Amino acid sequence: MIEVKAISKSFGDVQAVKEVTFTAPNNQVTALLGANGAGKTTSLRMIYSLISPDSGQVLIDGIDPKKQPEEARKLLGVLPDTRGLYLRLTARENITYFGELHGMNEADIKTRTDSLVKDLRMEDFIDRKTEGFSQGQRVKVAIARALIHDPKNIILDEPTNGLDVMSTRGVRKFLNKEKERGKCILFSSHVMQEVSAVSDEILVVHDGIVCASGSEAELQQQSGQSNLEDAFVHIVTNGEGHE
Amino acid sequence: MNKQILTVTKKEIKDNVRDKKSLISSIFMGAVFMPIFFVIFINFMINTQKDKAEAQLEIAITGSENAQSFMSFVKSKGIKIKPFNGDPKKAIESKAEEAVIIIPKSFGEKFSKGLPAKIEVYYDATAKGATNVTQRRIKSVIQEYSQTIGMTRLQLRGISPILMRAVIVEDHDVSTSQAKGAQFLMILPYALILGLFMGSMYLAIDTMAGEKERNSLESLLLNPIKRSHLLIGKLLATISFGLMTMVITLIVFKMVMPLMPFEKMGMTIDLGVKNLTILALVLAPLAVLAASLQTIVATFSKSFKEAQTYVGILIIVPMIPSMALMFLPVKEKLWMMSIPVLSQNLIINQIIRGEQVATMSIIVTIIGSLFIGLLLALAAIKLYNRESLLFSK
Repeated sequence: MIEVKAISKSFGDVQAVKEVTFTAPNNQVTALLGANGAGKTTSLRMIYSLISPDSGQVLIDGIDPKKQPEEARKLLGVLPDTRGLYLRLTARENITYFGELHGMNEADIKTRTDSLVKDLRMEDFIDRKTEGFSQGQRVKVAIARALIHDPKNIILDEPTNGLDVMSTRGVRKFLNKEKERGKCILFSSHVMQEVSAVSDEILVVHDGIVCASGSEAELQQQSGQSNLEDAFVHIVTNGEGHE
Repeated sequence: MNKQILTVTKKEIKDNVRDKKSLISSIFMGAVFMPIFFVIFINFMINTQKDKAEAQLEIAITGSENAQSFMSFVKSKGIKIKPFNGDPKKAIESKAEEAVIIIPKSFGEKFSKGLPAKIEVYYDATAKGATNVTQRRIKSVIQEYSQTIGMTRLQLRGISPILMRAVIVEDHDVSTSQAKGAQFLMILPYALILGLFMGSMYLAIDTMAGEKERNSLESLLLNPIKRSHLLIGKLLATISFGLMTMVITLIVFKMVMPLMPFEKMGMTIDLGVKNLTILALVLAPLAVLAASLQTIVATFSKSFKEAQTYVGILIIVPMIPSMALMFLPVKEKLWMMSIPVLSQNLIINQIIRGEQVATMSIIVTIIGSLFIGLLLALAAIKLYNRESLLFSK
């Protein structure tokens, strides 16, 4: 479970995130929906303690990353916005490296990698050097290395950005499966269909604040619109309508 | 040691060993090319000087008919005479002749009257190498002829030629044969230290700026490992490449030593196990310094290219003392051994000259260089902990 309590962050004069508060419980997919530059990536980076908030607090399963950064990171699996791989290493070596950094032993890494390879359908390229991988192959490797330690909480920043239909469906299926295993999944996206397809709870982020939250149906009801896209536009423009 | 640190070190070494192009360029250029270039260069230099000194000299002479006895003297010295008609200045400028002798018509007349007879020698004093040898030999032949005739004249007048020599010089050259070789080996300290810097340069760039450029830094920082441990792991990999290059450079130097024309020059260089060990001992702490310095510079760089430029400039660091010592030879003092790079230069020069290196010098060098190296490593760790590390892109 991830609890976020009134976190704020400024870069110079620009306040990127203002008092964002929410809870992402286990067994649920929570989405941060917002346009580019709305403050999604900055919020997520504070949650996974890559940067520290100017004010407010984050708790990962009750642990404050500010006080116990390494402990908190053990409970998290993160697919960040930048997801470069080591091109001279094979996909398996990339994943193994992160497993070793998590303190896992060789046998556990092997078992877990095999199961991720199966779930993410990586059989064809797992032992190839990652130089020249397609976007889809790269994202799959990045997800696998982020989740090698089988964390309880999963954070993904725009996970299906730049993926084709087949890869997108594969990732969605994988996330649903992880949810059924009781995981807390928090992801960000600006793609309506994506959010609509996988999330249980949607947080609409605009100008660094959470301006609405609820399930897809609840958001439509709140805004009086018949689909998520119209509901989103209605919410972020204060009902002033389209464009 | 912390297992995570070793995991990082192992990964960086494995990753970079696979980068064949960079590996070859840093290790080959640093460790192999320099010594081989060195051997070829010195052999060439020594052989041209020696060949010229021993080769039959051929002199271009205008007006040889004006000085018959001088000509027979020249021939008796085994020098061939080449008649020359033309402009001596042009012939030398165009490098057709290295030197030209002109004997004026008035030579015979003055000579028989016992007055100083003039011989004109044309040459280019700024010319290098072999040409210089030719000029020196021509002048010494003329000098010798002049003395021989002068002494004969005195004897004919009943005066002892000994009177002409008010003072005589007796040469006592106390330099050892190693010291003579030293001037040819001036390049050795630079080559060894440069190899070490080149060996670690690529890893410093790849593990710092490369991680940023590849966009893999953020994911890496999300692992449950302290940033200081992460940086120590990366530094250890960088240091190990510097050390490896240094050891290879020493081995290659040891291997090419027999190819050096030292015997021709009458000198010996002792690169035995003892001296090689001393070299490795005093150079090793420099690997920590080089890697830390390069890592700091690479941390500030936004991209791989930028890092290459700045870290490349750092190669000037080992050049400064090496160059300074070539032109301003100083007597080693113990305090100098606490200054990194300078101390290694001084010790390498001592070994080249065949002097005994004091144990105290070695200890002060190791402690001094290691101390500065560790300070720089701490600075690198501090820089790596900044939040802005991620955003300087």
